[in-house]
Amino acid sequence: MRSLKKVALVFALVAMSACLFAGGSSESSTAYKIGFIGPMTGDNANYGILCSQAVKLAVDQANAKGGINGTQIELIIEDSEGNQEKGMAAIEKLSSTDKISCLVGPVFTGVSFAVGERCQAEGIPMMSPSATHKDITAIGDYVFRTVVSDGLQGEVAGHYFYEVLGYRNIGCLYIKNDYSQGLYEGMKAAFEACGGKVSAVETAQLGDKDFKTQLTKLKAANVEAIYIPNYTVEMAQQLEQAAQVGLNVPFLSCDGFSNPEIYDLAGDYTNGVIYIAPTQVEESDSYKQFVADYTAAFGVAPDSFATNAFDATNIYIKVMKEVGSDRTAIRNGVASIKDYQGVTGTVNFAENGDLIAYQGVYRVENQTPIYIGAYTVDGGKLVEVK
Amino acid sequence: MSSVAVFFQHLTNGLTLGGIYALIALGYTMVYGILKFINFAHGDILMVGAYMGMFAFDFLRGDAPLGAWTFISFLLAMIFSAVFCAVLGMFIEKVAYKPLRRAARLAPLLSAIGVSFILSNGAAWMWGTQSRKLNYPFDNSPITILGISITPHQILVLIVSFAMMVALTLFVGKSRMGKAMRATSLDQDTAQLMGINVNVVISLTFAIGSALAAVGGMLIALDYKCYPTLGTMTGLKAFVAAVVGGIGNISGAMLGGILLGLVETFGVAVLGIPQGYKDTIAFVILIIILLLKPEGILGKVEKEKV
Amino acid sequence: MSFFQIILIYTCIYALMAIGQNLITGYGGMLSLCQAGFFALGSYATAILTTTYGWNFWLTLPVAVLISAICGFAIGMPTLRLKGDYLAIATLGFGEIVRNVINNWDSLTKGPMGIQKIPQAAILGFKFNPYKKTAFLIMLVVVLAICYFLFRRLARSRMGRALAAVREDEIAAASMGINTTKYKVSAFILGASVAGIAGSFQAVYILSVTPGTYTFMVSIMVLCMVVLGGMGNFLACILGAFIIQFISYFPQLTGLTNVIPAQAKQIIFGLILVVMMIWRPQGIMGREKFDYSGEKRKKGAKDATRN
Repeated sequence: MRSLKKVALVFALVAMSACLFAGGSSESSTAYKIGFIGPMTGDNANYGILCSQAVKLAVDQANAKGGINGTQIELIIEDSEGNQEKGMAAIEKLSSTDKISCLVGPVFTGVSFAVGERCQAEGIPMMSPSATHKDITAIGDYVFRTVVSDGLQGEVAGHYFYEVLGYRNIGCLYIKNDYSQGLYEGMKAAFEACGGKVSAVETAQLGDKDFKTQLTKLKAANVEAIYIPNYTVEMAQQLEQAAQVGLNVPFLSCDGFSNPEIYDLAGDYTNGVIYIAPTQVEESDSYKQFVADYTAAFGVAPDSFATNAFDATNIYIKVMKEVGSDRTAIRNGVASIKDYQGVTGTVNFAENGDLIAYQGVYRVENQTPIYIGAYTVDGGKLVEVK
Repeated sequence: MSSVAVFFQHLTNGLTLGGIYALIALGYTMVYGILKFINFAHGDILMVGAYMGMFAFDFLRGDAPLGAWTFISFLLAMIFSAVFCAVLGMFIEKVAYKPLRRAARLAPLLSAIGVSFILSNGAAWMWGTQSRKLNYPFDNSPITILGISITPHQILVLIVSFAMMVALTLFVGKSRMGKAMRATSLDQDTAQLMGINVNVVISLTFAIGSALAAVGGMLIALDYKCYPTLGTMTGLKAFVAAVVGGIGNISGAMLGGILLGLVETFGVAVLGIPQGYKDTIAFVILIIILLLKPEGILGKVEKEKV
Repeated sequence: MSFFQIILIYTCIYALMAIGQNLITGYGGMLSLCQAGFFALGSYATAILTTTYGWNFWLTLPVAVLISAICGFAIGMPTLRLKGDYLAIATLGFGEIVRNVINNWDSLTKGPMGIQKIPQAAILGFKFNPYKKTAFLIMLVVVLAICYFLFRRLARSRMGRALAAVREDEIAAASMGINTTKYKVSAFILGASVAGIAGSFQAVYILSVTPGTYTFMVSIMVLCMVVLGGMGNFLACILGAFIIQFISYFPQLTGLTNVIPAQAKQIIFGLILVVMMIWRPQGIMGREKFDYSGEKRKKGAKDATRN
């Protein structure tokens, strides 16, 4: 048995030396540190990687121009695997070892709740590019986001379907995750408040690829249209499989549709889909420039969350140029941002840290989204924004 | 849609979903039957096979429109992918499992989990995490018969999995190599004494299992697309199917796969249970089947010796 | 040092589950894959009772244990007829059922949104929260130590010997008058309860719960900890838990996350598992399996003389 104890002892020694090493290396000279948390591995790694690349692009561009007042910005990317446990470890590391000034992320709602509480308690400004749950910004005044809360998106969707498209009886197929369920609940509340009826609701589990059972049930339910507020890849599956079971009704969707990947995966099945997503950005030159830079750097096109992450990072950089690396100063700086011109358009934050934005409506024709208009909901009525 | 048509549409969906599970379950059960070892990395080899097939197919097909050549190049890509995965499977066996052949039963399982991590994350690293489309080599528009839609792909999946089952049964049951495999499965030491080269037999088992995974992977990727975790969840379900059918039994894997597909579909569609609980229903039914028949539906009852 | 503490905290939480797994798998010889399910039950019991019903955390602990134990009994009783991989599948199914139900029972568990703002654990006004990691760690170490000594005591008692007998040869054990069902079910219940405790502490550490945390991979990781450490040895399980957590967080601990990409970390993790298993298939502190086959015996004999 002695040899076994030796092995154990060696492990303990390795562990101890490693943590001494860690203690030694934790002090670094750079003052401007931006952290990022998102799923870099695991089932949903794609969303995290797309966002992290946007953050990296923003930091690299700023550094190429001399960083912040001559000092280079350091970016530290941490993997959450899309799970709270790893997310907590990531924020722990960013906060205590790296002593970051501000955080972009987390990408997913669940992790954002856990990490947000922590950021609030320690006074680290946090800006999520994609956590859409309406309660995220209720955590506190250090929590911001550059994505619209699903409350607003669902509300605009519900009103638009009822008032403009004239649907009275629709179906819904959503994945049981925080993002899709939030959108579904928002849309349903608004649609039914208008007087419509969501008569057939089908769900699927995260990771499902086969939706034929649900689509067959929706086909039998005879609804006017079907709302599919899901992630890009799942929507591609649903559109294709709907055609396979002979389901032939209009499909309505959400900002997951703004990822150009959808046209690659679902091709002509996307034609005729109407979706609600952040307002028109295609026209602006800065957006085109961003997409070109991003594609040149990473070989893939950014989705809307990555675009949001790019803006979030640039907002931090702009604020840090003015106020330095102090966390509280950055928080106050971000809160007082006014009419920031980002690649997603004009960015303003509401009192609670939410993005003030309108929702754009798009219709897909020939695998290209056609912009219809921007909308918001005011006093229970859909208002078109000119 | 009449309710009869709806019923048959569900039946079609369930059968073809089951076909997909069966396709993977066959490879699982084949390796298990010979080595009594859960190859946790089987699903990941399947994923590698799908990617390899996609690359080869895109390369061979070029810009050619749908036609005979696309189908031929798909078959060629499938052969390439099967060979690649066979070699990969043999390599993995040599490096990660062979040294553990005589170790405690759980050691190779852990090693397999390690291999699974390496493969799926290696794929994510090399090929990116976004889903990539493997184009259909034929026109996949659904055929409608009496109001029931079925696609050529669904039919193909069922045919291929059935053909695989028959071929495997014949190979293991009738051929000389199959006999050697069964002998190895019964008792490795005795098989060796009888002049069977156990190392070759085991290598070949892995080669065949991995080649099957590659073929299955490509067929599944046609519908599910290529992405690094393609094999994980589907592989897990397929493994469940293999066990329910009686692990180690080739026809059992097919039966288990089809049954799982039907249970998943009808549990939600017909029993009227809230659809979120699809997996719950599937697993409850599977547990009940296992309780009624603890060795799987077609599994052999192993007599316990005292 | 601060980050090292979080590794130790996760080590303690997972070590609790590993201890339970060791009783079931290491002693009882039953391959169970549902520690994640009991872990989730414990977490959600605490989360729901503290938020919806305003209970004190310490009062939710016994409830978490009770719920896990009842579920352990419910899954253990019928499935014990199953052997080896069939048992593995049935228990795996149970783990997935728990997660599936949590994800869909919106009125109780808030479904995929999860439960937020779980109150912090406190004793006489002293709060154990994630911001005071040292205090939290001490609390966990105390809990782990209690569980460790209880389980070790148990394993060296009549029950442990009975379980070992059942593992080695169930029929022989039964013919010696051991009530095999009773011991196997007890092992299951105890293993489940301790995972429930781990879940409760996880909930008050993270202060929010979502179904995404309790995937099948958690069960696999716990199994890895037990096998890697050495089956049938509780101290080895704790060591295994530490090693797995240490490897998982090594790049973060050493500030190398920008040097080692996340995927490379997972690949290295896989490599280490393979290499460790080839190097010591019986686990780091595991006992050499007695074996009649050729090659191993020589090595085993040599080991025996050296020790």
